Amino acid sequence: MLALFGIALGIIVIMAFADPAFLKGSNFRSMAFQCPEFGILSFGMMLCMISGGIDLSLVGAANLSGIVAAVVILSTGGSPGSIAAGTAAALLVGAVCGLFNGYLIGQLQIPAMLVTLCGGQLFTGLGMAITKGPAITGLPEQILVLSNGTVGGVLPYAMLLFILIALALGFLLKSTVYGQHLCLMGSNPTASRYSGINNLHVTLLTYMISGILAAVSGILILSHYGSAKSDYGMSYTLLSLLIVVLGGVAPAGGRGRVSCVALSAVILQLISSAFNVLRFNSFVKTFVWGLLLVVVMVAQSVIQKEAYRFLNIRRKNYEKNHQQA
Amino acid sequence: MGRFLTRKNLTRNEMLVVYIIAALSLMIGAVNSAFFSMGTVIDTARSMLVTVIFALCEMAIIISGGIDVSFPAIACFSLYSTIAFMNAYHIDSVAFAFFFSGFLGLLWGALNAILIAKFRIPALIATLGTSSLASGAILVISGGKEISMIPPSVDALSQQFLFSVTNASGVKSSLTVFILLPAALCLLFHFVLRHTMFGRGIYAIGGDADAARIAGFNVFRTQCILYMAAGLIIGIAAITHAILMRNANPSNLMGSEMMVIAAVVIGGTRITGGHGSVVGTVLGVLLITLVSNNLIMLNVPNYWQTFAVGLIIVIGTSITSLRAKRIALSPKI
Repeated sequence: MLALFGIALGIIVIMAFADPAFLKGSNFRSMAFQCPEFGILSFGMMLCMISGGIDLSLVGAANLSGIVAAVVILSTGGSPGSIAAGTAAALLVGAVCGLFNGYLIGQLQIPAMLVTLCGGQLFTGLGMAITKGPAITGLPEQILVLSNGTVGGVLPYAMLLFILIALALGFLLKSTVYGQHLCLMGSNPTASRYSGINNLHVTLLTYMISGILAAVSGILILSHYGSAKSDYGMSYTLLSLLIVVLGGVAPAGGRGRVSCVALSAVILQLISSAFNVLRFNSFVKTFVWGLLLVVVMVAQSVIQKEAYRFLNIRRKNYEKNHQQA
Repeated sequence: MGRFLTRKNLTRNEMLVVYIIAALSLMIGAVNSAFFSMGTVIDTARSMLVTVIFALCEMAIIISGGIDVSFPAIACFSLYSTIAFMNAYHIDSVAFAFFFSGFLGLLWGALNAILIAKFRIPALIATLGTSSLASGAILVISGGKEISMIPPSVDALSQQFLFSVTNASGVKSSLTVFILLPAALCLLFHFVLRHTMFGRGIYAIGGDADAARIAGFNVFRTQCILYMAAGLIIGIAAITHAILMRNANPSNLMGSEMMVIAAVVIGGTRITGGHGSVVGTVLGVLLITLVSNNLIMLNVPNYWQTFAVGLIIVIGTSITSLRAKRIALSPKI
């Protein structure tokens, strides 16, 4: 956690030297607008990874939810009531997508990677079938408020939503029975089944929450662009995986802290903005995300091995010093 | 023939795929009678060519318990770099093209091998990282633009044909000589997987890596050789793709990993590892190719096609996974 703080500060300091335009208030404000979109997706990915699986269909579910919301809003008139209806419809679609994933993974026991890879294709294809190709436009002006408005001129609504969701998820993971069951099932599904935990319920709930979070992100994207398309945010899958891995969630499952993931989302937003300010090619961004992913995984693997070796040496020394001859 | 027609054989996974392909062909043929012709066979073989090679490599990796989503990016990198290098230094040799592209693929395969075998990073995440590295690198190098000028002697290969067929309306279909490459690779993979200890090692590691290690297989060496060999073959497949398409595009192979993995899984290879066959994989690729090429004949509108292909993939993989689960839970006496 401290390491992540250090990295964030380090990046800000480096950028202050490289290009002072980075430190402008407007830069930080635009970062606060952008971060929640993929930040909330990463929370969804985090939950699925803690449960021992993975969710590669988040972007597809987000786009589908946005498209459904747009269709509902447009077909019921465009009043604030219909915006509420559209939002509710989007959340419902996200939940259904999540339940689809969860059922296939939990009940039919098909590996999570395959299910979510195919599920993502299915959701994107459904979105494409609804829009028939081009983006859905013509949405009422009020829709832009969510992603582009602020509380008191300082804190964007989107960032407020991000913080609230982070707090709620932290509470969920740490203090609720479901959260405990999730971590236990992620560590060892066989042991958790023998301990009386209903693995199927936990899986269904996990992927449903992840689907709902994807829908929230879809609504944010809809509000940001004022239109709905089936292939917005295609690069967010790799980005959310990177955020979750950087945030210390073990890919094997069982461990994870919301605060670390939130902080690592902020770090990646900083890096992304730094690239924009330094006018790097967007292709360079893809390369750097890949490099970061590889470096972080290698570092974690090496640190883990060194930690085991260190602990073994300490154990051997202890046994040597306390030999009862 | 009597020994073949047992109940066990007729309900094998590969036979199920054959039934589905037969049913699909009948459906397409009912709508478009020109489907049942040699021209269709040649065209389908041409579309399948590069995908079969990718699917064979992916099959071997999945049997060993891993997964590889970086092969489109590695392929794009290899083919673009080779063509760009040959154009820049005016090299015009077919052998050089294949060697260089294979060598680049080998290097990327070595990166995968180090990450997965040495640092024990989960295969999905490691190959996602490699994929971003390779595709980011090649897009930066190429600026997103494709090269349409291929060195002449290399380009001449795309005009070598085995035989041609002209159908009733005068459309000529020619079978390119490159069809020999996946055919040879199928035989090679079948031989290595079934009749060498290296292949036995791949199945063993996929079944249970610890048990394989205790049984005496060198897991590290097997995985290294596997990923590096896969990289080499992917490089060769990449330059074949560039020759057949007659240009070097740095990004048009991206996004095909979904189809290839689906084809491999539908063909009977279990995603958890330890089971799989060459015949099944080729049948899986045939099914996916038939579906993607002929949906338009079945009056499926353009914007429904992604969903339709996804649906078929979900159903296919569900069926294979359910069978695998049933076999795993059944008593084994």
